[in-house]
Amino acid sequence: MRLADRLKRNVPALAIATFAGGALGACQPYNAPMNTLSTQSDLAKWITSLYMQVTIWDTIIMVIVLVAMVLAIFVFSSREGDPGEPSEHESDLMLELAWTVGPALILVFITVPTIRTIMKTQPTKWPADTLTVEVRAHQWWWEFDYPGLKIQTADELHLPANRVVDIKLYSEDIIHSFWVPALGGKRDVIPGQINHITVVPQVPGEYYGQCAEFCGLSHANMRFRVVVDTPEGFKQWTAAQLAPPVEPKQAAAADGEKIFKNAPCAICHQIRGISGFSPQYSYGFRGPDLTHFGSRGTLAGSILENTPENVALWIQNPDKLKPGAQMPTLGLRGKDLQDLVAYLESLK
Amino acid sequence: MAAQPKTLEYEYPNYLQDPRGIWSWLTTIDHKRIAILYGVSALFFMMVGGLEAMLIRAQLMVPNNHLIGAAIYNELFTMHGTTMIFLVVMPLELGFFANFMIPLHIGARDVAFPRLNALSYWVFIAGAIFLHLGLVRSLAGMPDAGWFGYANLTERMYSPGINIDTWVLGLLILGVSTLLSGLNFFVTIVNMRAPGMTFMRMPMFMWAMLVTTILILLAFPALTVGLVFLFADRFLDTHFYRVSAGATPILWQHLFWIFGHPEVYIMALPAFGIISEVITPFSRKPLFGYPMMAYSLVLIAFLSYGVWGHHMFATGMGPIADSTFAITTMLIAIPTGIKIFSWIATVWGGRLRFTTAMLFTLGFIVEFTAGGLSGVMHASPPVDLQQTDSYIVVAHFHYVLFGGMMMGILAGFYYWWPKITGRMLNETIGKWQFWITLWAFNGTFFPMHFLGVLGMPRRIYTYAPNMGWDFWNYFESINAFILGFAFLLFFINLVWSTLHGEHSSADPWDGRTLEWSIPSPPPAFNFVTIPMVTARDAFWVRKYGSVGAHGVAPAISGGAAAAPVGAPAEVHEHIHMPAPSIYPLIFGLGLFMAALGCMIWIRLILIGGALILMSILGMVFEYPTFGQFNPEALAESTLGLDNRKLGMWAFLGSECVFFASLISTYMVYKDRNLGGFDAMILNIPLTSFSTFILLTSSLLMVLALAAVQRDDRKWGAIWLFGTAFFGMIFLGGQAYEFTDFVLQGLKIQTNLFGQTFYTLVGFHGIHVLIGVCWLLVLAFTTAAGKIGKDRSLAVEIGGLYWHFVDIVWVVIFTLIYLMRTVKHA
Repeated sequence: MRLADRLKRNVPALAIATFAGGALGACQPYNAPMNTLSTQSDLAKWITSLYMQVTIWDTIIMVIVLVAMVLAIFVFSSREGDPGEPSEHESDLMLELAWTVGPALILVFITVPTIRTIMKTQPTKWPADTLTVEVRAHQWWWEFDYPGLKIQTADELHLPANRVVDIKLYSEDIIHSFWVPALGGKRDVIPGQINHITVVPQVPGEYYGQCAEFCGLSHANMRFRVVVDTPEGFKQWTAAQLAPPVEPKQAAAADGEKIFKNAPCAICHQIRGISGFSPQYSYGFRGPDLTHFGSRGTLAGSILENTPENVALWIQNPDKLKPGAQMPTLGLRGKDLQDLVAYLESLK
Repeated sequence: MAAQPKTLEYEYPNYLQDPRGIWSWLTTIDHKRIAILYGVSALFFMMVGGLEAMLIRAQLMVPNNHLIGAAIYNELFTMHGTTMIFLVVMPLELGFFANFMIPLHIGARDVAFPRLNALSYWVFIAGAIFLHLGLVRSLAGMPDAGWFGYANLTERMYSPGINIDTWVLGLLILGVSTLLSGLNFFVTIVNMRAPGMTFMRMPMFMWAMLVTTILILLAFPALTVGLVFLFADRFLDTHFYRVSAGATPILWQHLFWIFGHPEVYIMALPAFGIISEVITPFSRKPLFGYPMMAYSLVLIAFLSYGVWGHHMFATGMGPIADSTFAITTMLIAIPTGIKIFSWIATVWGGRLRFTTAMLFTLGFIVEFTAGGLSGVMHASPPVDLQQTDSYIVVAHFHYVLFGGMMMGILAGFYYWWPKITGRMLNETIGKWQFWITLWAFNGTFFPMHFLGVLGMPRRIYTYAPNMGWDFWNYFESINAFILGFAFLLFFINLVWSTLHGEHSSADPWDGRTLEWSIPSPPPAFNFVTIPMVTARDAFWVRKYGSVGAHGVAPAISGGAAAAPVGAPAEVHEHIHMPAPSIYPLIFGLGLFMAALGCMIWIRLILIGGALILMSILGMVFEYPTFGQFNPEALAESTLGLDNRKLGMWAFLGSECVFFASLISTYMVYKDRNLGGFDAMILNIPLTSFSTFILLTSSLLMVLALAAVQRDDRKWGAIWLFGTAFFGMIFLGGQAYEFTDFVLQGLKIQTNLFGQTFYTLVGFHGIHVLIGVCWLLVLAFTTAAGKIGKDRSLAVEIGGLYWHFVDIVWVVIFTLIYLMRTVKHA
């Protein structure tokens, strides 16, 4: 057979080599905030270490299969006019035993660390200084409650570094999934069931999260951020969150406060001391707590950066930015809109 | 290459030539014509599903894209998954290839139940059209909750439109079709093999189909039960998946994946079988490790029932369940590995011919291995928590389903098209198609591994820029369009080659199995004489005299090649093929109308029901052979057992899973009941009496059968009436019980106890009702003197059903009534 023909048959191998190179490139943590391999917690590190072990075994087997396949194709390609008939060899006990027992052994090497990791990552007891966070998933935004600290917030979860955190997952409507790749694996958020993620964030920073279980129309727009603070930073943040809402200083913001109270905003949104959650609406109709809205970096399920322009855009037509959003279009325009935005942004 | 042995020239027309006309296709019960119907329909849906896929890729091509929008995108990915699984891969593998090839492979004239086969097709079409009802403008709204439609998103509260209604009803209809096909093929393969074709001499495709049919019989009822619950929640306001009543939406996931994982193998095993058939002639070697290949199929099927939890690692099942499902899942890698290594060993040392079919086969082995290996990653729960619901899972199952199943299907097309149509597919176009597919497939799906590692969740209609996802999404979309082009080539090839392609001989590939021993395309009755099988690779041995062909001159040369080596098992002077029937089509129409009635106009249910009843009675009395022993068929049957009886056994096996799912749900929900009515309401003395009556009726049934078998028509009729009467007493007791409960205030909507009790006992009651009707028909026919010894089979099969229904009641009575314990959540 001519060399050119052989090369032609080698296309799959070449293609795969190209992709493998791409894979190496893609695993670099450059500008990929959801990268599962850029591990920033104990949980994520354990998972990645296990992932690497499995990948090595997988690669070995893939290479064996590919090499055997390519060899077979090269060596046993039909030659025109070859009078010989191939062997009728159709079984080989030792060979068949080998490819039964071999993979079984490899599976033992995968299973043992797997089960150890399962046991390690799903504790049933937590140390005394554990920080408990209650995550409430709504269609399509995330609410974060700190029952011990009496803090309620949304879109942005603040966690202290180097402390055990027990993230308790509650759903207010349907099944969602809480996923922050940098901090570890996802866990479904299921109505009527409380799931836990136990994690020790290790590196301060801002990490991206997103709902990972399809939850209807705007599933793609159910994002959030996790801010891991230094212990001191977390204390400061806690103190700031516990403070009552900022009194409006500018005239525009003061007008905005009146608009907030008079428009339907106050039915669904809490600003402590200004409005509470209306008891006639169930959790399903609850909107994010806005007491310290201005201190957050994002809004609307973290699909928008928190800038006055974006807040105005959002209030004007939530459904356009997040299809199916339960927040109604209020028809606020001009000065009223600007005042309301100024007020909300003043709530640092 | 050895000289091509000639085959007999038949004077018979092939199955496509006679009879002609649209009507002959609407009423056909020839397995080959039904296969063509399936094939054409599935290819049409392949185009639909492929276009859906390309629209999905168009939307994802760039970040923050507004091309399609959230609502339509969600409908597209839901329908892409549902279409490709239920309307493309399964109908092509089961309806097209298996339907066509099973009788040819095992040396039979047709499948066991030809009319049931047609009925499966028409029900399939009814379900396929039903799924697409949302395209009608006034109904508006395609299914949009994903192909696994997780509750409670699918509840009326969160999906108020008809989207999910068409999905639930469409899948229920398709389930009926698949179950009946499975039953039919199971009986065919078990009981209609040519003389000498032992299990260990069957072509590997037959092994794959045998195991697949068992999977279908034992997996689909779980889906049916899950869908029935969802139907009840949406239409009857029950609470099977509603948290407010104490239920859990996770129940759906369990039921769905108990079906769903075997379903993966229902799609995979036929492709394994096709690959095993294609690889041998083009390697010019027998299949390596045949026994291990067969046993590994069985092992995969067995294990597939114990792994459903690996779809639910993220739901928080706890460390013990996680570990268990991890181990069972990893075990599946062992038999799968055996298959891959054995295929390579088959190629090894062979004399390879790189036809398009062979190229797709080799492509299958490599791509499927890649898909399987990423499956090993997901089998490890901690790793899976980073990977599930991300694009790495999308990569994984497309490597399995496209790189595996679809390549297997394409190999099958290039391999069997000459047998099916009598013309070869164009090899030049085929090879272009293969190389473009290979490139574009890997280009579309391999980068999804990277996207998954980079944290891109699946099922998102849009994504932000600067997530590190832009380049690969763009790259994938371009490749997806190239992949679409490769399929365009395929369709062009199919149409052009069927019209103008090179004519095929009976045995264009120097094949090894029996289908190549008959003309292309085959005559309606397949085999003039049923072949006598003396070895594996039956046709090869007949041609060359031994399994291998070490320079051996053809044992039989010239025109005698088609004559079997041994004596023909049976030579038919006249081959009787069953007459065509329009009733299967009417049945499909009736089912469609009944389902439509649930949604738009309740009276349509009655019209649909009437059509169904009419078609069933029509089919029962269409032939004068109703209930008759057919000594000829019995002698030909592999097990010496009547097909109808074996079919009933297979059906009852499937029913076991149906009732087991209902009983398990009752048991699980018993302790989650929020209060109100519970099992203490059950009237045990009354039910004990009806239980006694029902058990006694089984005794009468035994007497009835004994009487009929000794040709005592009078006492046969008396005992049959007695059985039916006792059944009616039982039904009366149940009617009283239900009325009493409803008057006390316990309705199906009341609480978890109400809904699980009424569905379980109610479904059993419906089975008794059907049994009573059946018994009455038998009793009246016997009383009219029509059923005697010669037709005792009718009573025997009815009796099997009746005893089964009674046994189920014993289980229900024990577990639900006698062992009632009450605990409030």
